[in-house]
Amino acid sequence: MRQTAATRATLIACQLLLAAFVLLPFFWMISVSLKPATEPFAIPARLWPEDPTLANYVTAFRPEFRTYFLNSVIVSGASVAITVSLGLLAAYSFTRGQLLAVTALMSAVVLAQMFPHSAIIIPIYRMMRAADLLNTYTSLIAAYVSVTLPVAIWMLRGFLMKLPVSLEEAAAIDGAGPLRIFWDVVVPLARPGVIATAVYVLIVTWQEFLFALSFTSTREMRTLPVGLNDFIGQYGIRYGELMASSVMVSVPVIAVFFVLQRYFVAGLTAGAVKG
Amino acid sequence: MTRKDRWLLWIFLAPSLGLIGLFLYWPMVGTVIESFYATSFISPNPEFVGFDGYREVFSDRDFDDVFWNSIAWTLGVVVFQNMLGFLAAMLLNQGLPFRGVTRALVLMPFVLPGVVTAILWRFMYDPQLGLVNSLMIRTGLASETSAWLANPDTAMAAVIFVAVWKGFPFSMLIYLAALQTVDRSQLEAATLDGAGPLRRLWDVTLPAIRHVILVNVVLTLILTFNYFDIVWVMTRGGPQQATHIFPTKIYETGFGQFRFGEAATYGVVSILVLAVLVALYVIVQAGANRRGRRT
Repeated sequence: MRQTAATRATLIACQLLLAAFVLLPFFWMISVSLKPATEPFAIPARLWPEDPTLANYVTAFRPEFRTYFLNSVIVSGASVAITVSLGLLAAYSFTRGQLLAVTALMSAVVLAQMFPHSAIIIPIYRMMRAADLLNTYTSLIAAYVSVTLPVAIWMLRGFLMKLPVSLEEAAAIDGAGPLRIFWDVVVPLARPGVIATAVYVLIVTWQEFLFALSFTSTREMRTLPVGLNDFIGQYGIRYGELMASSVMVSVPVIAVFFVLQRYFVAGLTAGAVKG
Repeated sequence: MTRKDRWLLWIFLAPSLGLIGLFLYWPMVGTVIESFYATSFISPNPEFVGFDGYREVFSDRDFDDVFWNSIAWTLGVVVFQNMLGFLAAMLLNQGLPFRGVTRALVLMPFVLPGVVTAILWRFMYDPQLGLVNSLMIRTGLASETSAWLANPDTAMAAVIFVAVWKGFPFSMLIYLAALQTVDRSQLEAATLDGAGPLRRLWDVTLPAIRHVILVNVVLTLILTFNYFDIVWVMTRGGPQQATHIFPTKIYETGFGQFRFGEAATYGVVSILVLAVLVALYVIVQAGANRRGRRT
């Protein structure tokens, strides 16, 4: 579309303003994480420390932090693997099954993503306590897999619906059984959908707070979001360390997102725009 | 899949449906049951009280606060998140230089963990050390520093602002994808007819993506109403209940005070509010699907 030079300049300025609005807090987080503990906060604030140092990172990477990090990796990793596997199986049935019951169940699955976690957490807590699973990885993984499955199934179904049935039919004519077809034809073709869904599950579980806060009771079992929340009290106003920890919590998920965002954006918007 | 393989469909579905049933549907029933019982820290054994719990909660002033806070919070976040998201999408749809990079960078708050977002902004709002006060004084918007989160008059607005900052990239992403489906030839025809940018937006673009906007607004209403982490980490529902919404109130009552029955009562009320929103979602979505088939 034709634009005058003045319109174009205004629009570019708006785009810069938008980027600044989004990025300023990130910049501030990194700046403070690099500020030596001895350098005082000034009013008005200095945007960049005089002598940047990694000292805050060294201090913040204490044994507790490493424990939380490992716990988060285990819980998120297992949740991603289980949700994507179970979700793909279910999505396949929801795509290829022509039964009326299957359609009705899909509506029930979509509905479940809207349930308020705060309202259902007490019965889940009681179930976990009855099964003696509180303060274990299992309780968190079970909760995370359940709450991420609805959206995962919905995303994967969006991908599978675009795959041509003819490939599966051709494999069937060649004498392949249904399991063989699923494994050799469907799974490889569904790869972009699997990646998009895995990124979604990772983003959700890496930051999950409510279940982790309620189900874990010892430092050995805390995940990063809960551990970070504890740090607020423990560190007082040692903001340098707090920001260094925050950066270390955020970098893994932001890095994964940037590498795989192409898949994720396609997966998320395909279904949302189509309706 | 052939007719005789139907059994396999059900085997593929079983684990997912089992987990969703056990950990999402059954607890919805469990919360309703729980709300008819009373428990406290002193008497942890549930005692049946029927509707007494509801009467108590409804006559409590806290309930009114939580209810109206939740409405203000949800509407505030949804309105601003969608408006900002839409404007940003329009902007990134103009074919300007660096729009790909900008889009990727703008998505960062969406990926930033909620607890990190909350801690970062607590710090941004800090009356002594925070960047917000510093910038406002430097640009002349304020003459003295304010404790945004400690003041009951500003705390809700401050928390809404953070949720909008974190949430608008998601809306932007959806609207950007929707804008790219708008028929270019119709836009060009409107331009030839002498329609300015606002006319084109109103007469061509908005009608074309109206259903996407509606569905997305209702979906963000539901997700925002259920929000917990940012509010809890930033304010714990304070100061003086000014930011207590259903999820924070439920958590505090249940896991802070071990009054599970009362927490469940709040839970049931929040489920009823959501039921209204979900009904709205179903209606809007059905309308969108009908429209999708027509065009």
